[in-house]
Amino acid sequence: MSTASLTAPLATPSPPNRRRQLGGPIIAAACLLAAAWFVLIPLAGLLYTAFTEDTGSGPGAFSLANFAEAYTDSHILRLLANSAIYAAGTALLTLVMGGGIAWVVERTDAPGRRIFHGLALLALAIPGLLTTMAWMLTLSPNIGWVNGVLQRTFGFRTAPFDIYSMPGMIWALASHAFPLAYLLLAPALRVLDSRMEEAGIVAGARFRQVALRITLPILRPALLSTLLLLFVGGLASFEVPRLIGKPAHIYVLTTAIQDATTQTPPEFGTASALGMALLGVCVISVLLYRQATRHAEAYATISGKGYVPNRLPLGAWRWPVTAAAGLLFLIALGLPLLTLAWQSCFAGLALPFLPATAPANLANYRFVFRYPIFLEAVRTSVIVGALAASAVIGLSLVMAWISQRSQNRLRWIVDALAFAPIAIPSVIVGASVLFAYLLLPIPVYDTIWILLFAYIALYLPYGMRFAVSGLTQIHRELEEAAEIAGASMPQIFRRILLPILAPVLLSGWLYVFVLSIRELGASIFLVGPGTHVLSTITLTMWEEGDSYGAVCALSIIQIIPLVAIVAALRWIESLFARRLHAAVPARLAIT
Amino acid sequence: MLDIAGLRKTFLAHGSRVTAVDNVDLTVRAGELLTMLGPSGCGKTTTLRCIAGLEKPDAGRITIGGRVVVDTERNIFIPAADRNIGMVFQSYAIWPHMSVFENVAFPLRVARDRKYRESDIRDAVGRALAMVRLDALGARRATQLSGGQQQRLAFARGIVRTPSLLLLDEPLSNLDARLRDDMRAELKRLQTTLGLTTIYVTHDQAEALALSDEVALFQAGRIAQRATPDEIYRRPASRFVADFIGAANFLPGTVETSSDDLLSVHTQHGAISCIRQQALQPGAPVTISLRPETIQLHATAPATAANALPCTVTGRTFLGDILEYAVDLGHQELRVRAPANRDFAAGDKLFAVFDTADCLALTA
Repeated sequence: MSTASLTAPLATPSPPNRRRQLGGPIIAAACLLAAAWFVLIPLAGLLYTAFTEDTGSGPGAFSLANFAEAYTDSHILRLLANSAIYAAGTALLTLVMGGGIAWVVERTDAPGRRIFHGLALLALAIPGLLTTMAWMLTLSPNIGWVNGVLQRTFGFRTAPFDIYSMPGMIWALASHAFPLAYLLLAPALRVLDSRMEEAGIVAGARFRQVALRITLPILRPALLSTLLLLFVGGLASFEVPRLIGKPAHIYVLTTAIQDATTQTPPEFGTASALGMALLGVCVISVLLYRQATRHAEAYATISGKGYVPNRLPLGAWRWPVTAAAGLLFLIALGLPLLTLAWQSCFAGLALPFLPATAPANLANYRFVFRYPIFLEAVRTSVIVGALAASAVIGLSLVMAWISQRSQNRLRWIVDALAFAPIAIPSVIVGASVLFAYLLLPIPVYDTIWILLFAYIALYLPYGMRFAVSGLTQIHRELEEAAEIAGASMPQIFRRILLPILAPVLLSGWLYVFVLSIRELGASIFLVGPGTHVLSTITLTMWEEGDSYGAVCALSIIQIIPLVAIVAALRWIESLFARRLHAAVPARLAIT
Repeated sequence: MLDIAGLRKTFLAHGSRVTAVDNVDLTVRAGELLTMLGPSGCGKTTTLRCIAGLEKPDAGRITIGGRVVVDTERNIFIPAADRNIGMVFQSYAIWPHMSVFENVAFPLRVARDRKYRESDIRDAVGRALAMVRLDALGARRATQLSGGQQQRLAFARGIVRTPSLLLLDEPLSNLDARLRDDMRAELKRLQTTLGLTTIYVTHDQAEALALSDEVALFQAGRIAQRATPDEIYRRPASRFVADFIGAANFLPGTVETSSDDLLSVHTQHGAISCIRQQALQPGAPVTISLRPETIQLHATAPATAANALPCTVTGRTFLGDILEYAVDLGHQELRVRAPANRDFAAGDKLFAVFDTADCLALTA
């Protein structure tokens, strides 16, 4: 290597600049406008409908009559009390169940911890509508097979379980929501430095004192914020109140709102006035949640260097603890799945573990696949799901970039816009999208577009979470290096950000796709005579009650691909983690 | 080559404006390596990012090679992509989804001023990789490289387009101590061979002294002193500079008499005679700065010594090649570095002896 070859220019220096492309700002502005449209237009529709006179053929003049009518109703106190009890009950039960699993998985040496983690994720893929149906087939006093088996075995006069009750509703929701509580609590437990507990033990505290005076106070922000989110989830939940609460005459806000819109003539005004209350409580709760998690940094339990995630040695209790956690999964997850699978093979009511009256067969599956609306609904669900996922991920990427990278002082608007829908229950989104597009001269009612608009608003926060977490893991200098190298904004997106973020965006896409496919609360407002999605035809088929077997076959047909997608999602996420890990110098990764 | 005038940059942090760079002027000659040195938060990195075009300054003018890239008065701001700058980042910023070759080729591929033929790209990348001795690894995934190799790859990417200016942002801070010494020598060799005008940001004073043609020491957004390594060490302009670069003892005092080349400073330990750097009136308060290695310990005061203060040994630390003593002058401790062959024990009554040329009277 001679000196001459070293000093010769490697490449000719560039001459002075040329005009920068405007592509970046235009795309950013277009995305913001689109997001504003999807989020704000429905809310405007809801507000307008709530504060104007309900003429029966559209809104009239400004009026508070809707509120007067909704809140002077004799049932209103009952309705609010039901909603509060139901939401608080599920939040507490879910927290206990999910927290228990989180403790076993993150803080003990119980065997099978990884299996529980995997099961919790898969459980999230199963639509709540289907587990709710399964619980009715399991615990209904008349047709529930568990009641039947217990009555026959132990000779009970009456059914020991009644799903048509407030505890029944709470159980039905908690049984499919507890994996979420687990996922929310696990990180807090994972980073809890066991040396804080050891310091307590060394200081002379007993196990109970350590738990009450050290562990619980440290975890309090995580517990409270999880409780708040679960409470909002309970208030917003629609499937359980609709399927169980309605026949049991236990109404909550979500079902009351939906009910009002299906009256003849439809009471849109009352529905939106009730919606304002639900929305208000949810928004306040979410604001409280953000407040709580903002200060959570003060409790930051991970200290970087020398952090020791010690697990509690359970000793002789290892297997009993695993058995208890396993039993929880077996009951909450296994029972409904068993019910659906078993029932899907019989025409009449089936009783697992008791001698069958007729041989099992696949006639129900043949029926579903020949059911004309089924294939149409699958097509609509898949198309709308794919479109929603693509739109949400596209919008999220641009908005997340603005929120994370730009210096603009107004970027909080982007955050607010993208995260606001997290506080809006699906029933409210459904109702407000319906009201908005009935008012606007845009003919989307009874088309797949109105579903798409609702799904985008619903799932924008989820897409944002994927995009933001992906972006925050990418060192900003990767983009700056490209800028210095002479790349334009679109080039940086296309050649640096997109390839690196591809796995995270793909898993975000799949997640939104899964959520869209299982969506019911908003869809029920928006499907018309000409549009059907999987969740709404499942509900219709169930309520028509012609064949439990066929509904169960339809459920199993939905569950298998959804579970497969979630399994794929897990795998893609591990891929992303590995890629990023390799991209950061070891010393930076620690600090 | 590089000319910065009146540079000012503020940030909004927790609702209040913080001035990161406060009216900085700086000139770097072509081919020179200038180090911007200072503690964290002193404005050195912000200044570098303003030069690169990654930050927009609030005020000031920056000229690179005669071309104005920033002038807030004339509302000129050339984006980073159009400044033809090479930069090595603290995290290296190696793109994990590209091969070693593609990382280096990227600046040529996205160049907007001209289209490089594939053969030109292969040629230029090959030479850049050869320079940092990575030519055998072009096909590797960039993430398969070791820390030192990633560092060299980042350097190759920075120079492949023959930039008019090379910016290095703490490039050695993520390396192990051994590797850091090797890379420091290699960086210096490459920079001299290529003759690139280079700005090097670091908080490590040893790195700055070893590498630079000139050092600019930053303090709270301003340049505290700008000088050659030799001068900044021997003639620090202020107490801050003396303290940040190397170790120093400080003795407060007031000027007693001032002659042509000597000052006599009254301290509570007696009169100290030091060289006169600037005109000072008798009575002016000064701080005497004294490097630990310029002090000698003697059992008796030599008759010829200009300065000899009685002291008592209070501490002794063995550092291998040298011994470091703490000696007490009476309510004032001095650090003294001495060769390991003379050994004193705690409690020994001695004299701290030092030359007039080694003590400076600082006014700031």
